[in-house]
Amino acid sequence: MTRTSKLVLRTLTAGAVLAAAATSAPSSTRAADAIPQLRNGSIGYIITNLHWAGYKTPDAKAECPDGKVNPWGPREQFKVMYPDDGKRTVMDTHFAFEISSWYPDAETPDRFPFYEAKGKYSTGLNLDGKVGPNDFTSPDGEPGIDNQLFRTIGCVENYRPPEGTTTFYADKAIMEERYNRMLIELTGVDSLENDNDVTVTMYRGLDELVADATGERYVSGTTMRVDARWGKKFVQTFKGKIVGGALITEPVAFGQIPWSSFSLPTVQKFHDMRFQLRLRPDSAVGYIGGYVDVETWYWQTMKSESTHHQSNGQTTLNSLYKVLRKNADAYPDPATGRNTAISGSLEAKFVQAFIVHPPTDNKVASAQVTAAPSQERRER
Amino acid sequence: MTQHFFIPAAVLAGLMMAGCSAPSAPSASAAKGPGAALVTTDPKPVAGRRLITEEQYLNTIAHMFGPDIEVVAQFAPMQRTDGLLGVGAAQAGVPAGQMVKFQRAARQVAAQVVSNGNVTLRIPSRQDALIPCKPADAAKADDACARLFLGNTARLLYRRPVPEGRLNQFVAEAAKAATLSHNFYTGLAMVLEGMLLSPEVLFITDRTEPDPERPGQQRLDPYSYASRLSLLLWNAYPDDRVLKAAESGELSTAKGRKRIVEMMLDSPRLEEGMRAFFDDMLAFDSFASLSKDPAAYPGETGLTLTAAREQTLRTIYYLLVTKNLDYRDLFTTRTMLMSPILGTVYGVPTAPGWQPYTFPADSPRVGLLTQVSFLAVNAHPARSSATRRGKALRELLLCQHVPLPPPNVDFSALEDPNSAAKTARDRLTVHRKNPVCAGCHRITDPIGLALENFDGAGQYRAAEKGVEIDTSGALDGQNFRDAAGLAQALHDHPSLPSCLVRRAYGYGVGAPLKDGDTELVNQFTKQFAASGYHLRDLLQTIALSPAFLQVTPQETPKPATPKEANAQTQSRAE
Repeated sequence: MTRTSKLVLRTLTAGAVLAAAATSAPSSTRAADAIPQLRNGSIGYIITNLHWAGYKTPDAKAECPDGKVNPWGPREQFKVMYPDDGKRTVMDTHFAFEISSWYPDAETPDRFPFYEAKGKYSTGLNLDGKVGPNDFTSPDGEPGIDNQLFRTIGCVENYRPPEGTTTFYADKAIMEERYNRMLIELTGVDSLENDNDVTVTMYRGLDELVADATGERYVSGTTMRVDARWGKKFVQTFKGKIVGGALITEPVAFGQIPWSSFSLPTVQKFHDMRFQLRLRPDSAVGYIGGYVDVETWYWQTMKSESTHHQSNGQTTLNSLYKVLRKNADAYPDPATGRNTAISGSLEAKFVQAFIVHPPTDNKVASAQVTAAPSQERRER
Repeated sequence: MTQHFFIPAAVLAGLMMAGCSAPSAPSASAAKGPGAALVTTDPKPVAGRRLITEEQYLNTIAHMFGPDIEVVAQFAPMQRTDGLLGVGAAQAGVPAGQMVKFQRAARQVAAQVVSNGNVTLRIPSRQDALIPCKPADAAKADDACARLFLGNTARLLYRRPVPEGRLNQFVAEAAKAATLSHNFYTGLAMVLEGMLLSPEVLFITDRTEPDPERPGQQRLDPYSYASRLSLLLWNAYPDDRVLKAAESGELSTAKGRKRIVEMMLDSPRLEEGMRAFFDDMLAFDSFASLSKDPAAYPGETGLTLTAAREQTLRTIYYLLVTKNLDYRDLFTTRTMLMSPILGTVYGVPTAPGWQPYTFPADSPRVGLLTQVSFLAVNAHPARSSATRRGKALRELLLCQHVPLPPPNVDFSALEDPNSAAKTARDRLTVHRKNPVCAGCHRITDPIGLALENFDGAGQYRAAEKGVEIDTSGALDGQNFRDAAGLAQALHDHPSLPSCLVRRAYGYGVGAPLKDGDTELVNQFTKQFAASGYHLRDLLQTIALSPAFLQVTPQETPKPATPKEANAQTQSRAE
């Protein structure tokens, strides 16, 4: 599917956001009536979980009919590519194999098979407002889900929890690292149930997440300072509305979010980036979607995961790159005509946080530590 | 390389013997054995004695040798007496197990004070900073240098000048150990360890002298007065300035005492003193064993509880000392110190660190009773407790006594998960139908129920099990509708200021109040009221009062005979 020229903001009817909200109950750590959330028409959230969206069944038969685990991981490919003839050198084998992933080649056909996701279902968003032949259907029946990234990685073990470790390390990175502290602030909010005009601003935050006493969830109501210095490039504004408790933003032409994995700070870049989130006073859950820049995605994976991690999850980057390029479905390069972006979504979970702007910011009012009366009346 | 000290057994045994000697038992017969040289020869009568608390020990070490001296010491808890652990110290002894802890702490301190550091192990060198001289040869004894260090140290630890003969014996012991270990600093460490085990250091002894203003009667000698002052205001032994005032005779005059008390009240060390006092008064030692059920209160972590205790202590100091607020307003103010971790419990945004935060006038958070510390520490692990909160208010803040429950209480009505009773009020109403329970619950529950808008973790709630919470109640005839009303009733309660007076005076003299002290408390309370209920004025009034200095006739003892002193020590040890 190629990107349509005009993207449509769809009203949420049977959207994946609602499904996600229903199946993945927010990790509320306190009763909602104990939290003063909406202050002066503003509420903030901080990211706690962020994974590439896809549809995964326990035996994988529905989405991976060729096999649950791609058999051609780095170790297996290496063994075939460099048989031990007693003459080989490290330079000619290990280095050559390693270096080839730094100069990926999308043109040469892969000599190894690669299992793609072929099922009917996937989670994610309908990015173009259409139902195309390559689109998936959401588990709750919404057609037109654009998620070619899931088609690419859906049968790669690394991206299939619990065996695949990508989910585990993504959670760990959000818990332990700082660069990836993503905040969103909704302003102009009259109600968390229905409001036809709200603004969502994304920031990078400076403060740590706070785990609750179980160690399994995060506490809402923390105070998060905006990084107005090094986080400027992440400040992005979206217009949107709230329908039946679900936030739906219009896409912006280009957006990026801070990303970190194995302590390597990087970004993920999206064309036509948008949010669809089910809002609660103490949490938000849903999707961040768009057309993911293929080169950025590949190099993030390339740089942050060693061959060790790739091997354990059967991720052979040379092969993966070819399939990424093949499945890319938007933003063709004007010179080559080849698509540079691939449809995809991130499953995102947030907890509510008080967002504090630096004093020089015009939004200093929200940084005041004196409580807003409306909030306290709410508590009362 | 780590520095180890191999203290000769005979020398250490002598110092330990000194540690077990009775401080008030000077006698020739006691002055035998290797460590006998360290036994006191001060002939002044003893009016009272109390054991140093762990916090006082740590504060004293920190101020003498620096806050980076690490002491892992868990001294035995005191018995809360007359509402205070600090008063219980007057009745505490030192059993063998406690002596081992003192020795462990003493060894840690001594080793760090003379440490020459180890870059590999990241152990800082302290000997150059803490020892005011260098030996001619570090492998040998150096009496001049030892005398300088040990003289300064002994004066501060013993809180009075050290007689020349006694100092000579310290120096001799250090030389003996240095010679045996071939290390000058080992000698110093050994004697310092011995000092820290001395009963004169571990016990605060109130020695008396004839009172010139009351012929035939006694008052504290200036050194004991200095210690009493310093423990009240700084929760540590007196420093060089206060000791100098004692040595110069300044503390023997009213004018001199006033100057020193004002100096101590102006010192930043007052914060340590007031934190310790209010921590004791509010029975915050309970935090040491406090935990909440993660399933019931996932937002309440160990960090949160630690911060809650800190919040109250910081708030008290900020409001009562820094802002000089009326003590009673502590219970009605909307302002408290706030930290980021606590912001998650209160549901408010915060600034980094500890900053004042003022809740709006319509907030249910009013004063100390609605701070997480009071609410959480006086509750169960998984639910609130109107009874505990009511009992704490009466006992800790009004100095009233609530009897212990009888041993055969039937709690089934309270703990029945299938009970039709939805709220704490409903459950306690059932409980109060038992006439055995009704007597006490009638005086605790109407108070505690006013705080039921806050669960066992101190978080706000409007309803319990779907039923709106009724927070009405009464405190000694004063009816109220909610926590704010309770706060006002407490603010206006005549026992609120008099209880603080009682606690502060008892804490200061380190002994339970006697029947005859009632009039004294009344006088102090009147002065406290006249000053506008300002804490600083109360502390000054107490510290400069004749009662704080004098020893009443009935408590003036005669010097103990050696036999009596030994029996006394034995009794305490048991």
